[in-house]
Amino acid sequence: MSSQTSTSRNNTQMQGIGMGMGRGGGRRNMGAPIEKPKDSKGTLRRLLAYFANERGRVLLMFAIVTASVVLGLIAPGLLSRAIDSITQHNFEALPRLLILMLLCYVVNSAVGLLQEYIGAGMSLRITKQMRAELFNTTIDLPVAYIDNHSHGDLISRMTNDAENISNVISSSLTSLFSGILTLIGTVAVMLWYSPRLTLLSCSVIVFSVLFTQFLSKFIRRFYVKRQQLLGQINGIVEEKINNFKTVTAYNLQDAVIEDFNQTSDELARTGITAEIISSAMGPVMNMLSNISFVVVAVFGAYYVLNGSITVGVISAFIIYSKQFSRPVNALSQLYGSIQTAMAGAERIFEIQDAPPEDKSGDVHMETTKGVIEFKHVDFSYVPEKKVINDFNLHIEAGKKIALVGSTGSGKTTVVNLLMRFYDIDSGEITLDGVNIKDIDCHDLRDLVGIVLQDTVLFTDTIENNLTYAHRDATREEILSAAVSSKVDRIVQALPEGYQTMLLDQGDNLSQGERQLVAIGRAFLSKPYILILDEATSNIDTKTETDIQDAMVELMKGRTSLIIAHRLSTIQDADLIVVMDQGSIVETGTHEELLAKGGVYYELYMTQFAGQET
Amino acid sequence: MFKYMKKYWIFAVLAAAFMIAEVYVDMLQPKLMAEIVDSGILGLGNNGTPDIALIKTTGIKMVLVVLLGGLCGMLSGATSNICSQGFGNRIRKLCFDKIMHLSFQQTDSFTTGSLITRVTNDVSQVERLVSQMVRGFIRCLMFMFVGTFTLMSLNVHFLAVVACAFPLVLLDIILILRRVNPMFSEQQARIDAMNTVVQEDIKGVRVIKAFIQEKREGERFNKANTDLADMQFKILMTLAFLRPVMNIILNLATVAIIYIGGFQVKAGAMQPGEVMAAVTYISQILSGMMMLAMIFQTLSRGMASVKRLNEILDTDPVIVGGDQVTDKSTPAAIEFRDVHFRYPTGVQQEMLHDINLTVAPGETLAIIGATGSGKTSIVNLIARYYDVTSGQVLVDGIDVRDYDLKALRDKIAFVTQKNELFSTTIRDNVTLGAPDATDAEIEAAARAAQSWGFIQEQPNGLNTAVAEGGMSLSGGQRQRVAITRALLKGSGILIFDDSTSALDLKTEAALYKELNTHYRGITKVVIAQRIATIMRADRIAVLSGGTIIACAPHDELMQTCEEYREIADSQMKKGGAA
Repeated sequence: MSSQTSTSRNNTQMQGIGMGMGRGGGRRNMGAPIEKPKDSKGTLRRLLAYFANERGRVLLMFAIVTASVVLGLIAPGLLSRAIDSITQHNFEALPRLLILMLLCYVVNSAVGLLQEYIGAGMSLRITKQMRAELFNTTIDLPVAYIDNHSHGDLISRMTNDAENISNVISSSLTSLFSGILTLIGTVAVMLWYSPRLTLLSCSVIVFSVLFTQFLSKFIRRFYVKRQQLLGQINGIVEEKINNFKTVTAYNLQDAVIEDFNQTSDELARTGITAEIISSAMGPVMNMLSNISFVVVAVFGAYYVLNGSITVGVISAFIIYSKQFSRPVNALSQLYGSIQTAMAGAERIFEIQDAPPEDKSGDVHMETTKGVIEFKHVDFSYVPEKKVINDFNLHIEAGKKIALVGSTGSGKTTVVNLLMRFYDIDSGEITLDGVNIKDIDCHDLRDLVGIVLQDTVLFTDTIENNLTYAHRDATREEILSAAVSSKVDRIVQALPEGYQTMLLDQGDNLSQGERQLVAIGRAFLSKPYILILDEATSNIDTKTETDIQDAMVELMKGRTSLIIAHRLSTIQDADLIVVMDQGSIVETGTHEELLAKGGVYYELYMTQFAGQET
Repeated sequence: MFKYMKKYWIFAVLAAAFMIAEVYVDMLQPKLMAEIVDSGILGLGNNGTPDIALIKTTGIKMVLVVLLGGLCGMLSGATSNICSQGFGNRIRKLCFDKIMHLSFQQTDSFTTGSLITRVTNDVSQVERLVSQMVRGFIRCLMFMFVGTFTLMSLNVHFLAVVACAFPLVLLDIILILRRVNPMFSEQQARIDAMNTVVQEDIKGVRVIKAFIQEKREGERFNKANTDLADMQFKILMTLAFLRPVMNIILNLATVAIIYIGGFQVKAGAMQPGEVMAAVTYISQILSGMMMLAMIFQTLSRGMASVKRLNEILDTDPVIVGGDQVTDKSTPAAIEFRDVHFRYPTGVQQEMLHDINLTVAPGETLAIIGATGSGKTSIVNLIARYYDVTSGQVLVDGIDVRDYDLKALRDKIAFVTQKNELFSTTIRDNVTLGAPDATDAEIEAAARAAQSWGFIQEQPNGLNTAVAEGGMSLSGGQRQRVAITRALLKGSGILIFDDSTSALDLKTEAALYKELNTHYRGITKVVIAQRIATIMRADRIAVLSGGTIIACAPHDELMQTCEEYREIADSQMKKGGAA
């Protein structure tokens, strides 16, 4: 009964309606691959800890399950007596028995409803809690962790894994309990009726369960292979449709179709094999359960004749042997699903166990002059591959510094280090003479405002995006920031002005407009130090001029660090730092560097004088 | 769509026939058991003397019947799977074939994501639909109708029970589904909302940390999380009623059967064993009904998939080629005559108007203009990714619509804006247009495209696999691989659609130097955003508002074209250039 609730919860689709009587749903997962957890005991203990808070409900659940099992055992007994009273033409007893039966059924249904109620509530609360904890850990993870893990994977752990786990565990808990209880109860009652018939019908069922186990293990590899092929098909379709322009440009259609057809045929072959075997499972199980039916009927008849049982017992046995086989099947599948759930739980715990971001530092800093110094800084993302090498730079208060260099020269890394998104390997970075490691991390980040190359906006109104860092900004502050960042011009063109929702992280604005909103956001955060990472390409000239004007406005009176991808913006910088392979190769003003005729001069000439032919 | 079922009808019919046989045989069981009880044990036909021989023979009969039923069941499973998956495979292949021959305006309107889902998910749904229809549906119907019929043959009065129970079960299903269905879409919306928060926050982790908003994001997530859990609880609670209510109906029916049966036995119209059989039949009938509810769900989902697949199957490519062929590698002249163009789908606004332009064989033409000014549209028209709305595009004096599509596209090496790499080796990626290229040829093209250096540095050189979507390479490297591929193709026309934007200026300069020495003869059309990239082109077309406002060499444009000068100034700052 409880395994049924879990299907409806997992799919959220309508499959839960299948009463588990037919051959429809359920059996599909029979051959599904089982994942193995690495540390079953530890993981299980941690998982069960979630249920500890629900102790009262768990106990209540057990009580309800017990009631339901007992009722399930009583009802067939009543049925048996009803049939007997008919056989013995004792019709006076019939109404009373039937009313008792009805009562039994109604109470059982009510109990079932209660079980659903408690079970669903419990598992949803635990899912929610798991998700919330996971989210809070994730948001506190170091940037490095998030950069190094697939985002899709992190997201799926938070959404899918959490739900599956709590479903499986909470439904397993009840089905384990009710399964064992039903098993013991059924066998006891059956033994009481007829030990010999019990032995006969149970042995058929145990045999059928063992057989299923064997078969599902056998099918598993076909399912694994089918899963791989399905993945391949998805891959082909996705890639070829995404790259459709190239496929057409190179007249590759026929080759691509040929390739697809081959995989598709193989998928069909594997699928047919897997499904034929697994669909044979239904009839085979059916056959075995029918054989147990025959066994009960034929041997039951003998026992009736030699007087050891009554006819009604046969009809009770038919129901009991069905009741017996259900928990045996459920229990045999439980192991696999618990294993899979625990493997999923391990993936979640893995994130929760990752060390959170090091935010230590007890120097509080409300304001800063903005004197930044890099002293002999070394840094590498992966060991032995240095990205920043003996980096030394002194930035005076209120100056505008530009970092220039080709892709991979380490410009963006400098930002990561200054914001403490990553910690340096050696050397030190100081702000007003204080090592940034010693400054309270929140204070440090509060002092610095950033505008990133890939603009990140949130699905919210424009106003809320602008006031992201400064919730209680006044109307005047918002308007003035919007004017300075040219956001007001975008807003005027929008039907709902500042209350316009940005959809899909701002997809309804152009890339340039998004950048303007990000600049506006930085304005409102009132930073003392500013970091600007220029957008690279694909922005039209008009918007770009707007962006540059807005940036100039924003930099006024602040120590600013610009990561420049184009040289036109930075000619008036107080200091231009030319980087190559993680080190500084040249520094100076625009004029100085041009006069020097070095790397900067060359870069400048290629950009502004066009290519030599 | 079901016309493609042709080859598989026979399997469908067989599967249905075997299923009917299986259920029929299954339904004999309770009756045989009734016989054991009534004639065997109670000896009702034999004046109360139990008949052991009858019990034995009936037992053997039952075992045989069971085996036969099992066999039919297995055969039904096998044939229905051959049918559904064979059919699914056929549809999958047909759809993919169709998609690969669609024109861009058609793939645009389907959208990539939806095409992928159709070929994968929708096909699986249809497979499930077919196998459900030939087996599950038949099984349910058999249970319901044969069950009812047999029940009535036992005693006509039982019909009343079925007649009462049936509408109740139906009502239960309908009422609950009607309540719960709108909740499902609401739940989906809340799942999406939660995913959005997670996605945004993981992507924007730097911004969140920089603005110290971890706590607020936690609250935002919490709200989405709670909203979702509340909705799910509501759904589960609604669905929770389905089963107990059905069980009550089923059990009521059982009790009614026994009650009526009791009277019938008392009246001598029935025998006890038949009452037992009737109990089994009524539960089979009602479980058939419950299965039917599930099957209707599969059916409605499956039919939606059928509709989506039909949309693909019924679409014919709008752009079809003529029969004009041409030599692949000779440099060609390109001409636009009074071209007007609007995208066939989406915005009805004219993308290009009054385009008149000629490019001589071997000339380099650059195109510059703001985003949305129609640069990509112009080159799309040359390769006939779209057709002009009016006017003509000519290659070597012949309308592109007269060319065989394959011949036309062979003639053009097109480097797209988005660098489309395939997850295979670098070698396979660069030789797409020239499968027989020798190593020396590959190296020459790679050197020209400035990719030879980093290809050499890859662990297996040319044979290094490119990760999915080319993610193992940087943006600039991807662009250079795509350029290598185009150069190796050896076509007479080369088109760059903003294909060097991620290259640093030095590399870009080196690339153009190579192009102008080793690939001098090829006709080149280059779209770019940077003045520095294009200023050395033979001519530069300035695109504004969907038309060419000027087309001349750089120096001339600086004198005559206000718009061009503005772009140049903004990128170079007046007087900054040496």
